[in-house]
Amino acid sequence: MTRAVFSGGRTGTAPFTWGQRAIWEAIERTRPDDHYFNFGRVLPLGARPASVSSALWALGRLAERHESLRTLVRDGGQLLKAGGELSVRTGDDPDTLLAAMAAEPFDYETEWPLRAGLVLSEAGEVTHLVLVFCHLAADGLGAEQAIRDLRLLLLRGGAPAARPPQPMDIARWQGSEAGRRVAAEAAAYWEQAHRRIPPTMFHVPSGAGETPPIWRASLRSPAVDLAAQRIAVRHGTSTSTVLLTAVTALVSEMTGHDTVAMLPIVGNRFRADTRTAVTTMSQEGLFVLDVEKVRFEELLSLAGAAALRAYRSAYHDPADRSAALRRVAAERGTDVHPWCCFNDMRFADNPVYRDETLIRRALGESALSWPMSQDQLNCRFCVHLSGTMDVSVTADTRWLSRADMERFLHGLETMLVEAALR
Amino acid sequence: MKERLAELVSESCDGELTPADVLAATVPLAYLGVTSLAQMRLIDAVEREYGVEVDLSGDVTFLDSVDGLAAWVEAARSPA
Repeated sequence: MTRAVFSGGRTGTAPFTWGQRAIWEAIERTRPDDHYFNFGRVLPLGARPASVSSALWALGRLAERHESLRTLVRDGGQLLKAGGELSVRTGDDPDTLLAAMAAEPFDYETEWPLRAGLVLSEAGEVTHLVLVFCHLAADGLGAEQAIRDLRLLLLRGGAPAARPPQPMDIARWQGSEAGRRVAAEAAAYWEQAHRRIPPTMFHVPSGAGETPPIWRASLRSPAVDLAAQRIAVRHGTSTSTVLLTAVTALVSEMTGHDTVAMLPIVGNRFRADTRTAVTTMSQEGLFVLDVEKVRFEELLSLAGAAALRAYRSAYHDPADRSAALRRVAAERGTDVHPWCCFNDMRFADNPVYRDETLIRRALGESALSWPMSQDQLNCRFCVHLSGTMDVSVTADTRWLSRADMERFLHGLETMLVEAALR
Repeated sequence: MKERLAELVSESCDGELTPADVLAATVPLAYLGVTSLAQMRLIDAVEREYGVEVDLSGDVTFLDSVDGLAAWVEAARSPA
């Protein structure tokens, strides 16, 4: 164990940003399984290994540049510290080190929200830097920004001159008149939509609850990726919208709901004042589609505008959303929450019109696995997309059996491949 | 205004399309790679630049061309 030192920044307290509040509520509901939200990144140094001292120096500068990395939770808000020391672990394999570093939940009030590790060669040089983030400090895009800055610090000895947006400033803007205006518009959308969507998506007990109840099924399917690309090009849309629409159509088929509400996790970096922030901006948006008996291709033409509304609704104050949901629950005499989310964690979306033969051949490469099970989940049905392509569904087996989870993943592949080849 | 709007479109999709590509487009911009995420950045940029507010509950097909955007901004800025 060694240390990275940082100092000289500003200090202060602020309310949580909307994004921090949203992830904090999810963490609280997932305890004691909240290590679920930890995630990591590996920065390989390739042909240019670094010395331990320069790696520690770069980590210190990274924590000085991004206030989120030295912000703790205090009294349900942000406590920004000026400086301190980050314990840095060492190891000889990046993936092993990452898994070990991510295994335990963060101590949110006392532990820095970034864990760092160095992978050392036999000669004692740093070959990889490993970062594990507390989800309060960063989301996927925030982590990418941190990795980019860390790479520049190592290569050039400095990060870009422009000061990145900081969570304390974002919280202040969100509390300003302009911020409240954005919040009010979003809250009105959530409230109006919740008056008409079904109370929840997976409403029939499966009768097949497992111990522990939460399971993840993962389908590695290049065919899903290729088919989604072909469809996206044909319909002038993104693979993300194609996949969100296909999942929505399947949820309708599985649950019998004509109106489906999904909660896509949205990066919330559309605004110029948030784009390069290392913090957690991601929040759930609300995507509502009247599926009825419309063909998949027709659904896609409706999905574009619905996706834009969902993206805008994601930048909301979770407190307003909760208040709106309480009002709707009182009116309808029942709680309304989809408990059905969609998280596209890929970064690139540059679809190509893929060849039919390629798609057919890729079908043979699909493989299903069950990588995880646990006790608590703040949802009933979560779809994750990563790479090219892993599609996973993490579900509460009390509402969706393992057999149905498997059927969902294979059904998604079939639906996309058939639509692509039509 | 169209030149400026084409620049905003280009910036919104990280330069995937040049302003010239955008101005020369004969199909909806979505078919050229202006994704929904890029559209959201474009909406933010147009709102800031022209002091207007885009209502997403209505028809948003104007986002699909510079002509549509220009006409929409003109209408949004003129007193009701």
